[in-house]
Order: sequence, then structure tokens, then C-alpha cells
Amino acid sequence: MSGRWLVGKATAALLTFAFVIVFNFFLFRVMGDPTTQLARLPRATPQEIQKLKADYGLDRPLLGQFADYVGDTLRLDLGVSQTTRRTVWAEIKDALPWTLLLVGTGTLLATVLGSWMGVVAATRRGKRADDGLLGFSLFTYAAPEYWIGIILIILFAVEIPIFPAGQQVTPGAEFSSFIDNALDVANHLVLPATAMTLMLLGQYFLIMRSSMVDVLTEDFVTVKRATGLSWDRVVRRHAVPNALLPLVTLSAIQFGAVVGGAITIETVFSWPGLGLLSFDAINDKDYPVLQGTFLVFSAGVILANFAADCLYFYLDPRVQSK
Amino acid sequence: MSLLEVSDLRVHHRGEPIVDGVDFELGAGEALGLAGESGCGKTTTALALMKLLPPTLKQSGRLTLRPPEAEEPINIEKRTEAGMGLVRWRHISLVFQGAMNSLDPVQRVDTQIAEAIRLHEARPKAKEVRERISELLKTVGLTPGLGRRYPHQLSGGQRQRMMIALALACRPSLVIADEPTTALDVVMQAQVLQLLENLREQLGLALILISHDLGVLAETCDRIAIMYAGRIVEIGSVDSVFGAPQHPYTKRLLESLPVIGGERGLATPIPGGPPDPGEMPEGCRFRPRCPYAAERCLEDPRLREVAPGHASACHFAPWSEWPAPAAPAAAEGKG
Amino acid sequence: MTEVQTAPDAGTPVVAPAGSSAGDRSVRELFLHTWRGRIGLGIVGLFVLTAIFGSLIAPDDPNASSLAVLKGISADHPLGTTEFGSDVFSQLLVGAQVSIIVGFSAAVISAVLGAAVGLAGGYFGGWTDRILDPLENWFLVIPTLPLMIVLARLLSPSLGVLIAVIGLTSWAGTGRIVRAQVLTLRERAFVERARALGAGDLYIIRTHILPNTLPLIFANTVLIVAVAILSESALAFLGLGDPTRISWGTMLENAFNAGAPSAGAWWYVIPPGLCITTLVLAVSILGYMLEEHVNPRLREHR
Repeated sequence: MSGRWLVGKATAALLTFAFVIVFNFFLFRVMGDPTTQLARLPRATPQEIQKLKADYGLDRPLLGQFADYVGDTLRLDLGVSQTTRRTVWAEIKDALPWTLLLVGTGTLLATVLGSWMGVVAATRRGKRADDGLLGFSLFTYAAPEYWIGIILIILFAVEIPIFPAGQQVTPGAEFSSFIDNALDVANHLVLPATAMTLMLLGQYFLIMRSSMVDVLTEDFVTVKRATGLSWDRVVRRHAVPNALLPLVTLSAIQFGAVVGGAITIETVFSWPGLGLLSFDAINDKDYPVLQGTFLVFSAGVILANFAADCLYFYLDPRVQSK
Repeated sequence: MSLLEVSDLRVHHRGEPIVDGVDFELGAGEALGLAGESGCGKTTTALALMKLLPPTLKQSGRLTLRPPEAEEPINIEKRTEAGMGLVRWRHISLVFQGAMNSLDPVQRVDTQIAEAIRLHEARPKAKEVRERISELLKTVGLTPGLGRRYPHQLSGGQRQRMMIALALACRPSLVIADEPTTALDVVMQAQVLQLLENLREQLGLALILISHDLGVLAETCDRIAIMYAGRIVEIGSVDSVFGAPQHPYTKRLLESLPVIGGERGLATPIPGGPPDPGEMPEGCRFRPRCPYAAERCLEDPRLREVAPGHASACHFAPWSEWPAPAAPAAAEGKG
Repeated sequence: MTEVQTAPDAGTPVVAPAGSSAGDRSVRELFLHTWRGRIGLGIVGLFVLTAIFGSLIAPDDPNASSLAVLKGISADHPLGTTEFGSDVFSQLLVGAQVSIIVGFSAAVISAVLGAAVGLAGGYFGGWTDRILDPLENWFLVIPTLPLMIVLARLLSPSLGVLIAVIGLTSWAGTGRIVRAQVLTLRERAFVERARALGAGDLYIIRTHILPNTLPLIFANTVLIVAVAILSESALAFLGLGDPTRISWGTMLENAFNAGAPSAGAWWYVIPPGLCITTLVLAVSILGYMLEEHVNPRLREHR
């Protein structure tokens, strides 16, 4: 067993992240003229602007600014929000758990449901169940996730009011126990998590289906049946574990989409995560927050990619001995 | 009493015959070779014997298995899928062509052998299973430690031996080996064939060996059946079929074999190709390619005994000598 | 036999060349003689026509406000009215334009960029590849919507900015595919022969590499049209659309901000989303069909 493959992946992840930092710096300090960030003080005198620039370190040479920026970023000093005057990191720290909850639930449900649907479709290829699932997942793939979210609100929060239309807890509610609190959050989670699941389902389904179709043509499937294993057991014990491997690698590509979905879905459901935070930052032109959320989103996706690589390493013995 | 009796086995794919009325018997401990060009229905026959064909292929015909330890003969054709689960591997096992993909790549090989043993034996103890596996590995000439490996960590030859160990796991009375040596180099081929032969002698296994390589079959088998376009055209002992072939197709197959040390004549390939299952020629299926084809060949020939224990499906059999062919009939026939 | 094995001397195409008559004919057949192709092409055609003539056939001025605010379906307003009393149906017709323009233009930019980077990296290898490959990887890994948001926010939103931003962030997939294809082509006998005969790089790229890569680029571009349409609508929904134009995304933004969901104003919400979904679905189906056609290995899977 050699871990060199994993070390290579880790190095690549670190390099990608380093590039994110460089990119982020140039994007906001160079391309986006920093003085526009100060434009919310329209009546500021040149002296005041000068002082602000000095405060932000904008009067120093670029390289020095960059060094400062890298140091600050690594110390999680991401600046101060221009609307709330709290530190960006404090804002992010509050929002992150909510996003993880939403994204985690959605991804988990979509993986389980999508791969189950993929197995069903692949073992019934060309039959009605296969066509139906294929049509359904193509539709959910093509439909904008925030639109699905809005429709869920109309259906299950307005027309048949069984779930709350937004936010993470009932405003003003006081909970006698942690369990009550958790149940209330779960109740609020249903619709946004459904939207998230529907958005991701199609891709997972298509990947699992084609992967299963591939595996089922392999010789070892025939051999396993020849040993007397029932078809169901061959599928469950041998075909599915093999078909899951491509799902793991290919699902890494999905993480970018997950983040995009977090932004729009959180906006629709006023879910107080990173997505809503960056949506508010867009509208308020709150650049430090926008920059911070972009950084965290990128780091999250890179980390998730690396986690997928680790999982793959663990699952596929062929990689381990490479 | 024979171990396996196949009578009128047919396999259809959307109405087109892939295997078209195959009959043969196999004695306990006997080795039967099944030869023919690719696409003649050899592998389909093998899979049909275990009812492993994909659902698009429909099979019919009687398959009777009489394993020594069973009191009643097993009528395979009447078994349901669940019932086949008890027959497969317990009585008949399979060594597939291309050992590359015959084992699950993400499971250790001993886990896979243990799975087969556990499936067919009532609650074996873990220790017994472990001992059985290391014994099996020793039988096929592998060190027991190799069982802890994944398939990709084994060489091609090791993998094929592992496959044979797996095939022996439930002590079947019949092993079907479909091109077991095709993916191996010559040295490995010889070793694996030698192994199969030894096992047959030691364990009293019956063997159906499928190969397009007549040389391999001649070395390993007692009897040989030649298939053409979904039918057996000649069957008999290896000596008599190789010594005095009774079907023009067999004759041509043997002629196209290179003879080591023999006079190196021009290897004569058989003109034309095997017919498409959708458009089988009328009468004898080899007729369009046969240099001896005549009017009579438009009638369907039946497989009949032409010498003791030697049957041929040629109207003109028994052939005592093979005249020089007048003109190849292939020119006028289609294909 | 598929196109894969044709004409070994004319340069053994790995995929059916788009320019050849055989390739063209079968693409035409693919689209006109299969029901999937006909439906896909029909829907896309309908939306393109709507984009061109939408403002002419719209029954109302899409921006005209009236007192009939957020009213449901009526004879005057076949799809009800907006929060300003404008006609939803007219907005829907006019809104097709942005999706079509942004979708196709951004896809073209993405295709050109992806093809250029993929070709350069794959063909020249060495340092060119060592710089371009990580760049490509980076764009593949980085979450695109946040990147688009940041770029669109820094530049002020307009149709051109949207096209540029979407095009600039979605080329990496194409680049990856093109690079892989070029890498295999570069080792082919006909390219080596041309090089041995003294042909220049540009000549080889133009006559051997590009013709064998174009079908792949084309199929991929069609799929990117779908992605671009979805991206535009998401950006518009987040308030980063061109403020001077009506698009399905901005309609959804306005509906959402005006409280249409809680008012149960489904006539304002469902049509724009359904239009996006239908158009994306139709384009994706065409893209998948092309991809399958170009890459026969995929054929058995779907």
C-alpha cells in the first residue's frame, strides 16, 4: 500500500487553494477598484479617503499588500462587514453550520436516493420504470433549483400549509428542550432540503445508472450467479459496490453545483447560511463578506474533492497498490 | 448411467437459433471437448447448461444431471431460478474465459471463495472454511497466503488458478471450462491444462472443456464434439475424430492446424464464413462452404453413428477416403 | 461498422468529422428521424422564433403597469399580471431573448476558449501544458456560481457582462475533453507522418487535429448552452441580471421579491421556470444525442 497517490492529491488540493487566495486578492484589490468599496461614504473628503486607504493598507505597494492579505487570510482575519460592522469571520462562523446542515442533508438524501434509483433503472433497462426514472431525473436536472424551491413553498407552505416557508426556527419560539428545538429546525429543513435533493438527484441517478449498466456486463457478475448467488444478492453484494466507485469520483464534480444551489436555495427559504450571507452581500455590495464567502466556498469544494479522493482510496483496492 | 444428458438443447435470440438441437451425454469423470469457430454456440451451450443465459435468450430442451451423491436425477430444465441456486456450483461449476474479470475486483479472493462455500453448506465454522480455502489453494498450486490478495494483485496465471480453486470449492461433479487458457501465455497454458487434467484424475471430476484450439482439446479430453452454426456436426473419441474425421468441416478444421515437425503445407483456410443465425442455409449448414456439397445436402442431415462411438452429421459419412474436391461450392453459394 | 473505422488513409478519424458529408447526413438523420431529435429541435426552434419575434407578437407592452396587480388568469391576461399589473404572458415572450442570446453567445465563448486551451495544451505539451493544465483544473474545481457572482458584482451587470462572465467560467470541461482527444490524435500515425514530411504545427492542427476534434467541441458546446441558460437565470434571480431587460430569471426574481409565493400567485411563478426547464431539457437532449453520436462508446449506455 502506498500513500503516494493520496499525497499527490493533497498537494494538488493545497495548490488549488493557494491559487484561490492569489486570485481572490487580485480580483478584489486590483480588478475591483478598492475605492469603490469606500463609495458608501459619498461625502467623504479626500483626507478622509486617504485615511481610510491607510487604514486598509491600500497606500502600500502591491506586494506588501499581498503579503498582508495572505497573512490575514491564514489567520482567518477576513476583514469587517461593511453593513453589520462585525468581522467577516464571525458572520461566516454563524452561517457555516446552517449551510453544512442543509448541504449535508441534501447531498446525503440525493446520494442514497439517486443511487438506489440508478440501480433500479439499470436492472430494469429499457422497461417502463427505467424510462420513468430517466424522464424524472432529466426534468429535475433541467429545472432551476430555486424555482423548484418556490413551487415547494407554494404547494406545501401556502396552498397546503404543512411546512414553514422560510427561516431555520420559528421566530420568537422558546424551547423547553434541545429535542424540541431540533424538531423545529428539522421541520424548517424539510422544504429547502427537498429542493436541494431534487437538484442533485438527477446527476447522481444518471451516473449510478450508467455505472451499473457497465458493471452488470462484467464477467464476474455471470460467475457470481454461477456460484448460486441469487440475482438480488449479486446486485447488492457485488455489482453495487463496484458501481459506487465511479459515483464517488464523479460526485466530486457535483460539489461546485452544491455550492451554487446553496446560494439560491438559501435565498428562497431565508435559510441563514453562507448562501444567504453572500446573497445579502451581493445586494449590499458588501465586498469583504463576498470575498470571504467566496473563499470559504472554494475551500469547502476543494476539501470535499479531497475527501472524495480519500473515500475512493479507501474503497478501491486497485488504487491503493498503484 | 451418464452424469449429464443433454437432449435437443435449443437457444433462440428473437426467434433466431443460436443453438439448434444439441444432444450429447457425458459420463462421470469424463472430459468432453467442445470445439468450433467463434460464434458457433459453444459458450451459449455452456451457459445454457447452468441456465445462466441473459433474459433475451430463450432456451429449451432436456438437461438431466445425475450427480453421484444425489438420489434422484436433477432435471435442470424444470428448475426455477431459486432451484438452480442449489444446483449451481454445488454440482456444476464454471471456469470462465479471461480470468481478468471473473472475480469481483473490490473483494479479497478468499472472501469470494468463502462466500461460495457458505452458500452451499449449512453453517460451516469459520475455521473450517479457512482450512478448506487454504487446502483448495494448495490443490491448485498456490500458496494459501495469496488468498488475502485482491484479484488485481495476482498474475494472470495465479488468477486462473484461483478461479479453478473457486470452481472446486463446493466439490462439484462437473466443471465447465470456457476457454480457460486463452488469456494466458504458452507456459501458463500448459500448466493450467496440466492442473485440470490432474484434478480430474484425483477428484474424479467430469469436465467440459470449450476451446477453439483443437490442440488443447486433443491433449486434455477423452471425447470431442465439433460444433458448427449451433449444431454438433461430429462427436466421438479424440483418437477417432482426429484420426479419421467423418465430417468435411472437421476435416477442414484439422487441415488448418499447423503441424509441428510435420510437412509444412499451405494452411488452407476454410473459404467463406459461418452463416448468420438469421439466414441459415437450407439443409446441411456447412453446404455453402463444403467442397463436397451435392444435391442431397439440401436435406437436413441427422447426427448418426457412423462407427462405434463416433457420430457425424454428414450424408456421405462414413468417409473412408477424402477425394480431392472438384470445385469449391462456396463460389455459387452465398456468403 | 461505425464511422470510427472509415478511411484509414485519410487520417483515421477518431470520431465522425463534422465537415464530412457522411457525418452531416447522419447528424441530420439523428435529429430529423428520431422522435427525441424532432422534439428537441422543435422546442429549441420554437424558442428561437419567440426570441426573434417575441416583442412583435406580445399582446401587451411587457413594461406597462396597471392597477390590476397580481391578478390571476383572465381574458385580458392569459397568464395573469405582475406586481405592477404588467402582462405576464408578454413578459414571458420577450424574456426568451435573453436566455437565447446569453445561452448561445456564452457557449460560443466557452467553446472557443476551451478549444484553444485544450488544443494548445494537448498539442504542444511541455511548458504550455504545464501552465494550462492546472489552470483548467482550477476552473474545474472552483465553484462556478460564486465565481460568476463575484465577477458580475465587480463589473456592473449588463447583457455583455453576463455573457462574458458565464463564458469565461464554463470552458474548463470543454478544455479537458479537447485536450484528451488531442493527446490521442497527436500520437496517431497520420500526424506523425505529416510531421515527418515537414508539415508545420499550424498546418497539422488545421488539417488533422481540428477536423477530428470539432464534432466533440460542437457536442460539448450544445451541452454548455444548457448550462449557460441556467446560469443566466440563477444570476438574474440573485439580482445580477441586466436591469434593462426582462428575462425569465428576472421575472422569477421580481415574483419572489413581490411575495408571489406567499400570495399563491402561481401564474407568475410557474411559466418562467417552466420555460427555462423546457428549453434546457430540449437543448440537453440534443447535446446528449450529439455526444452519443460523436462518442460511440457512450451509445450503449443510454
